[in-house]
Amino acid sequence: MNSMLSAKDEETALEELHRRGNTDGLPVVIPTRNRVERMVLASGMDADMVLGTMGPGNGVATVEKIAIAAVMAGCLPDYMPIVIAAVKGVIDPEFDLTEMQATTHCTAPLVIVNGPARINCGPVNCGFGIFGPGNRANASIGRALRLAMMNIGMGRPGSSDMALHGHPGKFTFCIAEDEEHSPFTPLHVARGFAPDQSVVTVVGAEAPHSVMFSGDADDKDNHRYLLELLAIGVANMATNNAVLGNGAATIVLNPEHAQILHAAGLSRQDIAQQLYTRCVQPVSEISRLNPGFAGRAVKDKMRHCFSSADQILVLMAGGSGLYSMVMPSWCAGAHKNAAVSVLVEADQFCEIPGL
Amino acid sequence: MRDGITVAKLGIPSVALVTEDFWPQGDFVANSLGMPEAPRVRLPHPVAGTGMENMRAVAERVIPEIIAALEADS
Repeated sequence: MNSMLSAKDEETALEELHRRGNTDGLPVVIPTRNRVERMVLASGMDADMVLGTMGPGNGVATVEKIAIAAVMAGCLPDYMPIVIAAVKGVIDPEFDLTEMQATTHCTAPLVIVNGPARINCGPVNCGFGIFGPGNRANASIGRALRLAMMNIGMGRPGSSDMALHGHPGKFTFCIAEDEEHSPFTPLHVARGFAPDQSVVTVVGAEAPHSVMFSGDADDKDNHRYLLELLAIGVANMATNNAVLGNGAATIVLNPEHAQILHAAGLSRQDIAQQLYTRCVQPVSEISRLNPGFAGRAVKDKMRHCFSSADQILVLMAGGSGLYSMVMPSWCAGAHKNAAVSVLVEADQFCEIPGL
Repeated sequence: MRDGITVAKLGIPSVALVTEDFWPQGDFVANSLGMPEAPRVRLPHPVAGTGMENMRAVAERVIPEIIAALEADS
């Protein structure tokens, strides 16, 4: 058991947690012994089980500490398998959490949930307003990861989290894919998992940027215009990806846009490949606008903005209409901001009586 | 800071160059890596992109501090 703080009532406890820098600035649920024990019980794991260390403070992420973050964030015990998987994802060495927490860029881990856990451990919203407020699972799962990164990983603005501006997704950033309505192979299946497995994919992402496209079904080039706009949105010359030439990207197609691409005969992988091919920038322009980052590249060459098609995560979610969302990335660190997918171990979950 | 400590842990004398705005982060990293006294020299912020003339002036100003820190480290 971690060392216990005490306070005469919950109001005083909340003020103390704010004062100690243990919150994200919003009120938290006080992690009392009883609440934390119930959350640990829900995980089906031992409280002192170590999942790994979280940078940059190198705090040890035990199931109990993650349960504390989940309680504070307002999670239901049902959400614990997703929270645990998300923490496992960011502490995978390939994720470069230490560097990501410390960078001056505005990157945050986006949690993408696939498979049955979207329903069984949620529901995690995959429809209207996925990036916005109003859904408890999305709000509190993403928040639990952030609180774990702050209180276990010790990422604190201005002293260890050096993001110059941060972004609103650093409060919470969790979505699910709308697999039931998507014409494409789900993201987790494309990344090597079975359809009936539940998977959390974490990827460092900027805040969502809107891509507007109304389309014209009579135009045979309809889908090409959409691909062109998505490519402009996710890898314009102001993005790290264009300038540094690496990293991952996240493309969240709305159902209408997904259908346009599907009707053109494109699979999820085809879309990723098309975007990889289209997202190139001339080194001469990088050299002109950001000379410090042009490197030794030959000036008349074009440079790819992403590591590979596999690092362009394409999924369908959100309401139907004009807008899709694209998220460029930081694309630095030893692994160039790679996405990491982790199996959700929901079979460990223990039903909590009374909830 | 992290690079400086990594090098120091290899047994090679090192001095981290940390700009004013990143000084608190330097303290944090030094503490979290178990070398709170790791030598560092404070630079103005920013340095990158401020032009060769300024960077040369900054370098000339801090060279004695860097040498002193290296000598103290050895």
